[in-house]
Amino acid sequence: MSLDPRINRLDLKRVNDGEITASHLVTWEVFHQEKRGKQPVHAGIVHAATPEQALMFAKEQYARRGKTANLWVVKTSDVYTFNSEDEEIFETTPEKTFRDPAFYKVRERIEAFQAKNKL
Amino acid sequence: MYGNTSLTAEEAKIVNSTVEDPEKLAEFEARITRGEKIEPGDWMPDQYRKQLIRMIEQHAHSEIVGALPEGTWITRAPNFRRKLALIAKVQDEVGHGQLLYSAAETLGKTREQMLMDLLSGKSKYSNVFNYPANTWADIAVIGFLVDGAAIVNQVINSKGSYGPYCRALERICYEESFHLKQGHDNFVYLATGTKVQRDMLQEALNRWYRPLLHFFGPSDRDSQHSEKLMKWKVKLASNDDMRNQFLDQYVPKILELGLTLPDPELRRGDDGIWVFGDPDWDEFKRVISGDGPCNAERLEVRRYSELAHRWVREALMNPKEKYVTPLA
Amino acid sequence: MNTEAIKDLLYRMADDALIIGHRNSEWTGIGPMLEEDLAFSSMSQDKIGHAQALYNILYTSFGEKNPDVLAFQRAEKDFRSCQLVELPIGEYDFSLVRHFLFDHAEALRYSLLEASSFAPIAGLARKVRGEIRYHVMHADTFFKQLSTGSEVAKARMQSALNYALPFALGIFEPSAYEEALIAEGIFAGEARLQELWLQKITPLVAAAGLQMPAMDTAKAVYGGRKGYHSEYLQPLLAEMTEVTSIDPSAEW
Repeated sequence: MSLDPRINRLDLKRVNDGEITASHLVTWEVFHQEKRGKQPVHAGIVHAATPEQALMFAKEQYARRGKTANLWVVKTSDVYTFNSEDEEIFETTPEKTFRDPAFYKVRERIEAFQAKNKL
Repeated sequence: MYGNTSLTAEEAKIVNSTVEDPEKLAEFEARITRGEKIEPGDWMPDQYRKQLIRMIEQHAHSEIVGALPEGTWITRAPNFRRKLALIAKVQDEVGHGQLLYSAAETLGKTREQMLMDLLSGKSKYSNVFNYPANTWADIAVIGFLVDGAAIVNQVINSKGSYGPYCRALERICYEESFHLKQGHDNFVYLATGTKVQRDMLQEALNRWYRPLLHFFGPSDRDSQHSEKLMKWKVKLASNDDMRNQFLDQYVPKILELGLTLPDPELRRGDDGIWVFGDPDWDEFKRVISGDGPCNAERLEVRRYSELAHRWVREALMNPKEKYVTPLA
Repeated sequence: MNTEAIKDLLYRMADDALIIGHRNSEWTGIGPMLEEDLAFSSMSQDKIGHAQALYNILYTSFGEKNPDVLAFQRAEKDFRSCQLVELPIGEYDFSLVRHFLFDHAEALRYSLLEASSFAPIAGLARKVRGEIRYHVMHADTFFKQLSTGSEVAKARMQSALNYALPFALGIFEPSAYEEALIAEGIFAGEARLQELWLQKITPLVAAAGLQMPAMDTAKAVYGGRKGYHSEYLQPLLAEMTEVTSIDPSAEW
């Protein structure tokens, strides 16, 4: 007898001889959009058989609290990433200050010009 | 909810003696020292991967097995507020299991393999869930104190080095704060209620005191260390430190309600270190090796849940779809 | 307005929602796969929440007892739930088929009630629309996937459907107030609801490759709406109120 009445209602012995199989469903990467206008952000994964089911599951695992505008699911095997050894390709970006708005500072030049021309 | 990882002497030896490519290892360790996270596609020492899988898997098992003692009272919660809170709380534990299995899957072990290892006994779960929830008051003690202990552990682990595990723990810790609040609420209602309620609670507290001391694992004096696991930020605090932090936070919250703890030796030393009586570590060892009051039932129920629903998973399977390791 | 008619309708709906929510919550932690465990649990919480909201209308609009008393301290014979919701969870095929049959009826009932002349129920119907929409989507997705997934699953779903359908017809057991409800624009009535329900589920059952049991031979299981219940409701209530009854004077 279990202390749990739910467990006592299950026929535990009925299935206890079977084999567990290592079969598994595919995984889906879930993206969560908190509200309209915001970027969807990766939230985690679900195991599911179809996109519809993945969405059903994602809704309760990743949107049962707080606000949600939408969810996206993408089959894991359809997502491509860089290898992590290639991470150094991103190191070139911070050097390219000409892409950075803070690189462009003309205030001093304007002030010098104004002083010189008594503006 | 979770316990803690402890190594046997043999395991500690393997972890400490495995040799890795020195250049890659240096790069890996430098990354951790800089406070950066390790991500699934990174090179990592074999033992880092193995110990992480083992730890996260045990944590995941603890969540889904941990759903069972509390589930004992799901159909008997006494009013709307408690009924909804308890169902939502147990649901969260299942959700935490899902998140943690996902984190472990990124290291290359499938969820089904982990579940098979749980059922075969190859993989463990937290000892505390091998104890029964005898009365409704046990639900209050579990919700407040077992979750409180788990939070101490999980907040510490969330500062670890493995990205997917940390991300899962951040979400888990957020939800655990709801568990703790609802557990405390239930606990306080019983403590400040009628004599019947107070007595129920005191009895439950007496039952859970030892399992709670056991929760963080054996004393540092009696457990195996691995400098490597500390250096790699797989293990972040010692068992005794975590236990002490728990006692420091929670004993006052119990005593302020006029309840007692069944340990005459329990006191806070001047150095801030709690002293307590021997919680019977032999019992801890017996329960961990399978001889606790509920070990058999917990596994039998999990086995039922897997086997009785095999037809569901088989009907959903599409043989043309190939499982690949999830990304994050 | 016909107070007795509205109260009867509210009790039926509230008791149905409470009992099916209670039953479905039994799966929490032992469901078929982790993701489905979560989804099924959420839906059971929603149902229990709907029950609470409906009892609350009885409490605030009609001076009945508060929701906790109505749910946890009423005698079995006072429950107006249909027998479908009382049945044990059985195996997952039955729980899922019940979810499919019941939730379609509930979704249609609430959508009719959005136009109710009784404002509190019309307001609640609009409020729960999103939750119920998800329940139906979930039911339809799973119902179809399992029924078409394997021969074993198909056979299980068919036999669960055959078993559950007469009980599901019991959802529409007419009350003593049908005419009053219709005349006063409170609710379109059980007969109309059953007609809409059959129109809705028949093609879904066919699309899932299952046979709809013959309607002329399927005998509806009535009684619940008048307080005559199956052998399962009394033990369910005894279990549900076990803690409260330790000390009924206490605040839990």
